[in-house]
Amino acid sequence: MTDAPEVLKPLRTWSHLAGRRRRPTEYEVVSTNLHYRQDNPDSPWELDPDIHMNKWYRQYCNDSPLRHEDWDAFRDPDQLVYRTYNILQDGQETYVRSVLEQFSDREHDSGLSPEWVAVLASHYTPARYLFHTLQMASSYLSQMAPASTISNCTTFQTADSLRWLTHTAYRTVELSRTHPGAGFGEKERQLWEQDPAWQGFRELMEKALVAWDWAEAFTAVNLVAKPAIEGAVIAGLAAAGRAEDDLLLALLADSQMRDAERHRRWASALVGMALETEGNKAVLDEWVAGWQPLADNAVDAYCSGLPGGDKIAEETKTAAAAFRTQAGLD
Amino acid sequence: MPLLDRSEYYDLIRTTNWTPSYVPEDELYPEEMSGSRGIPMEKWETFDEPYKVAYGEYVANQREKDAGAYSVKAALERSNFVDNADPGWISILKAHYGAISVPEYAAMTGEARMARFSKAPGNRNMAVFGMMDETRHGQIQLYFAHEHTRRSRQWDWAHKAMHANEWGALAARHFFDDMMMTRDAISVSLMLTFAFETGFTNMQFLGLAADAAQAGDHTFANLISSIQTDEARHAQQGGPNLKILIENGKKDEAQQMIDVAFWRSWKLFSVLTGPMMDYYTPLESREQSFKEFMQEWIIGQFERQITDLGLDTPWYWDEFIRALDETHHGMHLGVWYWRPTVWWNPAAGVTPEDRDWLEEKYPGWNDTWGNVWDLIIENLTEGRPELTGPATLPMICNMSNIPIVGTPSNGWNVKDYPLVHNGRLYHFGSEPDRWCFEQDPERYQGHLNFIDRFLAGWIQPPDLSGGLAYMGLAPGEIGDDAHNYEWVARYMPAQAAAS
Ligand SMILES: [Fe+2]
Ligand SMILES: [Fe+2]
Repeated sequence: MTDAPEVLKPLRTWSHLAGRRRRPTEYEVVSTNLHYRQDNPDSPWELDPDIHMNKWYRQYCNDSPLRHEDWDAFRDPDQLVYRTYNILQDGQETYVRSVLEQFSDREHDSGLSPEWVAVLASHYTPARYLFHTLQMASSYLSQMAPASTISNCTTFQTADSLRWLTHTAYRTVELSRTHPGAGFGEKERQLWEQDPAWQGFRELMEKALVAWDWAEAFTAVNLVAKPAIEGAVIAGLAAAGRAEDDLLLALLADSQMRDAERHRRWASALVGMALETEGNKAVLDEWVAGWQPLADNAVDAYCSGLPGGDKIAEETKTAAAAFRTQAGLD
Repeated sequence: MPLLDRSEYYDLIRTTNWTPSYVPEDELYPEEMSGSRGIPMEKWETFDEPYKVAYGEYVANQREKDAGAYSVKAALERSNFVDNADPGWISILKAHYGAISVPEYAAMTGEARMARFSKAPGNRNMAVFGMMDETRHGQIQLYFAHEHTRRSRQWDWAHKAMHANEWGALAARHFFDDMMMTRDAISVSLMLTFAFETGFTNMQFLGLAADAAQAGDHTFANLISSIQTDEARHAQQGGPNLKILIENGKKDEAQQMIDVAFWRSWKLFSVLTGPMMDYYTPLESREQSFKEFMQEWIIGQFERQITDLGLDTPWYWDEFIRALDETHHGMHLGVWYWRPTVWWNPAAGVTPEDRDWLEEKYPGWNDTWGNVWDLIIENLTEGRPELTGPATLPMICNMSNIPIVGTPSNGWNVKDYPLVHNGRLYHFGSEPDRWCFEQDPERYQGHLNFIDRFLAGWIQPPDLSGGLAYMGLAPGEIGDDAHNYEWVARYMPAQAAAS
């Protein structure tokens, strides 16, 4: 005699979400537990277990020193899904377009002082390269993070980085039309590769791009590099611009900082979740301690050529440290 | 002054290559992740994507597309299409969502591989939109399938399939992981975006959309056509890389990647899409046969694209064209026969009218496949249903991970293509499947297909119940005939005499 097996009944949601009391949100329905590569730790991908990419994911994702028994429990505090991301950012881009149009109509660029135009050429338009490194680094996190809910945050962050790059390219062309002799659209690569103002950030990001462990890459990019870059190159430069009547730069920066603040919200939440596991705080603190000097040097080097740069540098470093402290790190 | 036109600043957006110095270039772009094949950075900067879009346009367009797809769904929700549709069509939806939703999300990782590791700046940017697109495709299909979970536990497989060791899901993972998850950036652009997306997703998304519209499933037709508009854009990343490879003396490598990816895609479609189009879709809703869709989308369009780019048609082209009359019929027969092992209810699709249609589209069908179905029908009409279900295991191919099939009965040609490699015997369903293995044995050699696992003792008890447990299929989920065998009545002696 064997018992007839139970016939599974239909559920109101996916079986993996069905045990909870609450009805799952749209966010949970479409975002959770999607990385099937996390199912079999011996062979993340359904091929020979010893191919390069299986070793890569075992080493840099599964065997990361940052441990958690259930990364899939991570939730984006903003609960963004693809659909709502586009609604949010289409609104932001519509706003940016109207700002660009208005400032173009009133010939904003021809009113800028020659000194400030020189600062834009040396400290603003080369950021196209820097933002691109953030884009690349974020896309690495998307392919390596241990949970789809983390990857989704980094995918939106990748797109946001391309957004910042695009704004910068746009402004580079506009500035080159009004100030043809200032090097806009011509000198950025050379400055990015050689100018002392950029070498700290270039060193930081080249090294962050080869931090292959997913959690170390997250630490280097989201906890150290981004607060430094956003503080100095976006918000700091914009503050200097305000003093030079470059309100356009300030408004663009404000819109970009909304993205940056969203990135910090999920990064803080992820740190908070990681800190639930004993031993993780030491791992994160050690990584931060390793990366922070590179970021601090980068901020100092970049700000030294800015009007009011000392103050911007100090504020950036203080705010970056405060962000990490608020997230629960040293 | 008006806003700048995209063309005025687009080139700067993709002028982002720099010469690294704090980290060596080959560490920043490891060959196994990047796949630049010794072609210098400057050459990759000639990458020119035919379809251009900037960030602001992207979010505006995509917002509008989503608004369209979601509002059609909302508007039609009350019409209860799914409760009244032909069960064969419902099986298509269940099979599609299970096999496609989560792999689409996984394609985000393939796109991210390009976004991070391609040395072509244009490729890196386009792949960001590709990452976003695939996030969309995963999410929107999960969302659309989710409202049906209350109807049957089989709908749970829209999310669950890729986490299970069900044989079809295992085959899909082996395919997708090979094409898009474990390759370098340049290989992903050729194998995923060029070979698979340019050719085959057109089939799945436009071909099936045509059938869906015929069947009255406007929600699904609208959804998958909307997805295809994204595929049509991001599929265009492979072509420019292919051009760079050919210009730099790498034609043979490019050809090999395309040939592997194309064959593997074809085999997946023969088990997934072929049965849907020629058997599950109600007869009156069939826009064209699977073979006709293949001829239109693959032979007509894809063949021209590869030759235009300077490649040759794959060496097995004649065999591929021959197989268009065969493979998916065998796959369908196998899936229906082993119906408890899938998460949907296969529709037999062999009423007398269906068979007339099959004979017209595939002359000789009745003399081959038809004879096997006659035997099944005889067992069903004479009360021996136990003879129409699995008692033994099929042979499974070590490349496609799907059954080894051929033409049965009066056209008998079923054949194994074996290979001994490092002392292990492998089985393949065709010469091209074996050839794919031989191109890179190390990628595949340590993998166990479903039968290998059975023989290795992974599946306990070693019978159907153990197999179903290993596959994660329980009563309530396991498949059975979509129409509950009602069609068999057409072959009952009394009925047949009356008609
Ligand atoms: Fe897709
Ligand atoms: Fe795609």
